[in-house]
Amino acid sequence: MKKVLCIFLAMMMALSLAACGPKKQSEEQPEKQPEKQPSASEEGFSPSLDTSVESRIKIAGGYDNFEALEVEFDRFNEYYPNVELIYTKVDDYNNMIGTVLNGNDAPDIYFNYSWMYGREQYKDSIDLAEDLSDPALGLDLGCIRSNIILNTADGSLPMVPVFSNTYGMLVNNSLFEKEGLSVPTTYQELVEVCNAFREKGYENPMMGFSQKETTSLFVLTTYPFFCETVAHDAEAVEKLNSYDESAGEYIRPSLEKISQFLNDGCVDLDACGEIENNYDAVILRFFEGDVPMMTCSGDTVSGTKKRESRSEAFIANPFAYSFVPIPMSDEGAVFLDMSNLQFSVNKNSSNTDIANEFMRFLVTSEKLNEIAQNKGLMSTTKDLSFNNMYAAFGAVPASRTLSPEEIGLTDDAVIQFRQAIFSVGTGKMTIDEAVAAYGTFT
Amino acid sequence: MKKILISIVNVVIIAAILTFVVLYSIFESRDSYQRQIEHFEDITVAMERVTENYLEGEQRLCDVWTRYINSKTMTIEEATDYIRVSHVLENASAHLIAIDTLTGLSTRPKLGTDEDYAVSYQRLNLLDNVDWIHEIGKSINVTRAYTNPMNGEQSLAFCNRITLYDSEGDTFKDAVLLRVIPISELEQKWMVPQTELVNAELSMIDGDGDYILKGYSFKNSDFFEFYKSYNPTDPESSSELFERITSSSGSISMINSHGQECVLAFTPISSTAGWTMLGLMPAEVLNVKNRDWMLFWVVSVGLVVLFLCDMFYMLYLNKCLQITARKAEAANKAKTDFLSTMSHDIRTPMNAIIGLTTLAEKNPGDVESTRESLRKIGLAGNHLLTLINDILDISKVESGKLKLCPLTFSIVETVENLVNLSQPMIKEKNIEFSFHINQIEKEYLYTDQLRLNQVYINILSNAIKYTEPGGRVSVELREGQSPTPGCVRLTYIVADTGIGMSPEFMKNMYKPFSRQIDSRVNSIQGTGLGLTITKQMVELLGGTIECQSEQGKGTTFTVVLDIPVADRQREDMRLEPIDVLIVDDDETMLQTASDTLKSLGASVDQASSGLEAIGMIEHRHLSGRDYNVIIVDWKMPELDGLETISRIRTEIGADVPILLTSAYDWLDIEEKAKAAGANGFVTKPLFRSTLYDKINDLIGKESKSIEPEDDYSDLQGLHILVAEDIDINWEIISSLLSMFGITSDRAENGRICVDMMRTAEEGAYALIFMDIQMPEMNGLNAARAIRKLENPWAASIPIVAMTADAFSENITECLDAGMNGHISKPIDIKLVIKEIRRIKEGRLQ
Repeated sequence: MKKVLCIFLAMMMALSLAACGPKKQSEEQPEKQPEKQPSASEEGFSPSLDTSVESRIKIAGGYDNFEALEVEFDRFNEYYPNVELIYTKVDDYNNMIGTVLNGNDAPDIYFNYSWMYGREQYKDSIDLAEDLSDPALGLDLGCIRSNIILNTADGSLPMVPVFSNTYGMLVNNSLFEKEGLSVPTTYQELVEVCNAFREKGYENPMMGFSQKETTSLFVLTTYPFFCETVAHDAEAVEKLNSYDESAGEYIRPSLEKISQFLNDGCVDLDACGEIENNYDAVILRFFEGDVPMMTCSGDTVSGTKKRESRSEAFIANPFAYSFVPIPMSDEGAVFLDMSNLQFSVNKNSSNTDIANEFMRFLVTSEKLNEIAQNKGLMSTTKDLSFNNMYAAFGAVPASRTLSPEEIGLTDDAVIQFRQAIFSVGTGKMTIDEAVAAYGTFT
Repeated sequence: MKKILISIVNVVIIAAILTFVVLYSIFESRDSYQRQIEHFEDITVAMERVTENYLEGEQRLCDVWTRYINSKTMTIEEATDYIRVSHVLENASAHLIAIDTLTGLSTRPKLGTDEDYAVSYQRLNLLDNVDWIHEIGKSINVTRAYTNPMNGEQSLAFCNRITLYDSEGDTFKDAVLLRVIPISELEQKWMVPQTELVNAELSMIDGDGDYILKGYSFKNSDFFEFYKSYNPTDPESSSELFERITSSSGSISMINSHGQECVLAFTPISSTAGWTMLGLMPAEVLNVKNRDWMLFWVVSVGLVVLFLCDMFYMLYLNKCLQITARKAEAANKAKTDFLSTMSHDIRTPMNAIIGLTTLAEKNPGDVESTRESLRKIGLAGNHLLTLINDILDISKVESGKLKLCPLTFSIVETVENLVNLSQPMIKEKNIEFSFHINQIEKEYLYTDQLRLNQVYINILSNAIKYTEPGGRVSVELREGQSPTPGCVRLTYIVADTGIGMSPEFMKNMYKPFSRQIDSRVNSIQGTGLGLTITKQMVELLGGTIECQSEQGKGTTFTVVLDIPVADRQREDMRLEPIDVLIVDDDETMLQTASDTLKSLGASVDQASSGLEAIGMIEHRHLSGRDYNVIIVDWKMPELDGLETISRIRTEIGADVPILLTSAYDWLDIEEKAKAAGANGFVTKPLFRSTLYDKINDLIGKESKSIEPEDDYSDLQGLHILVAEDIDINWEIISSLLSMFGITSDRAENGRICVDMMRTAEEGAYALIFMDIQMPEMNGLNAARAIRKLENPWAASIPIVAMTADAFSENITECLDAGMNGHISKPIDIKLVIKEIRRIKEGRLQ
């Protein structure tokens, strides 16, 4: 028996020692390089370059930091251990990216935005971008929601959306559950829920940032509604974009909606006025736990996770929350699907091979979902159910999903709308005055 | 149980050593790790010095420009031109920015243009507040890393506040001079020099944790955010930690973005406002553990091998000890058995001696009874002596101290002695005894006679001893050619019709105290050492001994020895031409004797019986050709030797010399032989020299009766000096000698003996019997002293050792000391007389 045991132990030791030996390179670092590069989603990512290649991928953007990207790059390093990521924040990004792209410090991959398209001052940002629709690159573009993919007039694709954005409201699910209320799906329900909360002693059933027009609660609540009103009216869009004299009338329904919203007593503007900014202050106020609904954009939602630990109230009384569309009509809410951050590859880069390889690695449903979840932003893929925070948007019917790029409103037209809605919401103008002032806001 | 205990102790010791090694290793590893950390901290501090020097150098250049511009009244254009001329670095540039508008001029044109030098910092959030820019010489004023608005490169800028003249408004305005350097320039210079710290990464942060320069592994735009992202901590602790990092030098352990433990070294950059130099290094690079494990495994394997070797060696030693213990036990048992056997074997003859002595004392008047008692006492004493000799011999054999002392001796005398010694037992047991010799041509041989005698006697005495009355013992001694040059091969065969030995006993018969368990044997006295000694002696003499035996039928021992021939041999023996008749019923005897006589030159006739002999003698007598010598065997069937002689004398005549021959003791038949008319006696076996001597004696003393053996008249009047310190011994020897008419003087020790010889008149003593162990001067020294005396007679007087030191080396020692012979105690008076006669006849060695 002892001999058998000794032999067994000796064999185990030998096997253990054998297991300690280095793996064959072919197992660890496959060097197969298919001529036609498969998309990374087909059977997982398969490197198409020599995995021992030593290189640096420089990525330029406007974020102070981009940890979510670094996480994905760590995954990429598992295939290409000798490739480094250099992420650089460019000051005054939107104005500087053109200069940067032409300078000595030009990145291989850079942030890009749909709204830059067609504007002369951002011409370099579009012109210096590689066409990512080239099938030879093997990007799995099919996993991305089509309405946020911007193809240029010549059919090329200078940028790929990595994050998307939308407007909505943070919902304190625990509070709803506690009070036996359901998250509203129509405007009528929204008003009823607000009243119900108020009756239950909640002074502010709904809040939002109101000090500046850019992401004020007025815009966040009515912009999707506005888009819905003009989405299928090309004439209206044309007039709005060209500041036609009659264009102001196209925003009237939205102005009336915000007036109704305010009159229905859903929000207390005085209380909202105490929220100093549309980011930290909004989140921390929501974490106080006494606000059932807080309007904000997807950008703000991305900051909630990190700020949980900074809120003593939330630490003391944590609760479940999610981000849902704001139902401003009786037909339900509109999912305003906007691209947020997009990646372009510098076609003049000396590292296009490895830059494209990284893009092929990144542009898959799995990786895009992962990077979005890590960043806290909405994913650009067709599947939003993976993230409870944004799952409600995935449930919005396609017919009620709108994209500003598809609608065709220019950025200037949107700014005019924002100014008008802010003026009415804050009581600086009447609806008529605001309608009349359309095109004159600065 | 002890083995397990020892094993456990060993394992515990090994475990303790390994634990020590591990602990020591860990301690060393930690110590080494700590040293590495300290080294890394030092490197970080050194890098801080280098950085500080660099920053100061750049700042000084900026200061020079500032002083010059401020000392002059210069417009922005003039100042820009001045700096443009002063530029040395190709990639560096200078920006002059008015604080109020955050716009100004660059020394280099905007990227892609030739003449556009306008620059704006309005969107950079860098100069909105310029309070951080100190006065010249008080601090290094460096911006964070920012994007150079002129070329998009990430850059640093060394700043000073300047005053520029506005020619349009004829006013002065505050501005900032920025010496802008691309970070890529810095990164090329800003590397940790040590190759062993190649994995180290450096960063610089400002007081808020924002990176000024950022290493690859440093994530986020804020170091503190980076730290908190991967190192869970509470706000209070993190606040304390960040305070420590930005205000002191040292290091901490932290987890990087890969979940890897790292060492973060930090030190403030003293010449800046709240900047801190950070160094980040994976802990595993600093903490080298492989060598420790190698040490651990080497020590472990070494100890295990040592342990196993020790264990196997211990097992081996244990086995040896067990064997030794068993041997010791066996030896102890053997000793006990030996003592028990000795006790028995000594007490038995002692019982006889003491008992018979008591009987003799109580019956002094009964002469016959007393004589019988004394005879039996003598027998018991002899047995006791044999026993003691055997014990001493076996002791010497087993201790390896037995050595041979070769001497020149006569094989004839040896055989005669052998026959003589065996005679009493043969006679007592009425055993048919024969002794044949064959081709014995070399009389004098050179070997240890004492040991040879011992071998021959032991075998023969055993044969006689274990042969029942009426049985037969025959001895054959033949000389053959030896393969060894200068030697003859003597083959000694003793066959008996005794009780024989079982095969089981024969396997152990050469072991000490081996005696066959047999009711017949138990009545026979013996030590059980005889065969052991015999075998040892034979082997010592370089020979072989073989035995064939069958229980109930008899035993045959064969001893073969190659013995060197002595230089001295008898001269060529040749008889006158004579006719000899030899009469014996033993055909072998007839043939060997006939051959011997023929070799001596005699004409030999043979008769196998007395009657045949008488017929042949009568026939010769009638033909007038009487035999010159007739040799008649005693023991013959029908008509024995005595009757045959008697009839020859009565029927034919008394003139023919007749020799009676027998292997038996002459004394037993001496009177009858004389009465029958025998002229002499010759002991079997019939050696060539013996026959030669006897026949010559007979021819020379024709018809003369042989001299009786108990005629000691030749010894009358001899005066002998006896050196003997023990009174009783002196009394015995003097009394015994006086029985033969020999007188003696006593010397109480060697010194007295020498003195007496020095003063003795010439011829006063015929010889000296010298005891060896004596006070004042022992016998050996006394002999040496006597040999050195001036008086030639005294110096050459025969000296015979008479001592209880009976070993052969003692004899050799005596001879070496100048003595002429050796008699061992207890003394046999026959041997003493024989020795005296030998000396008297001048046959000295």
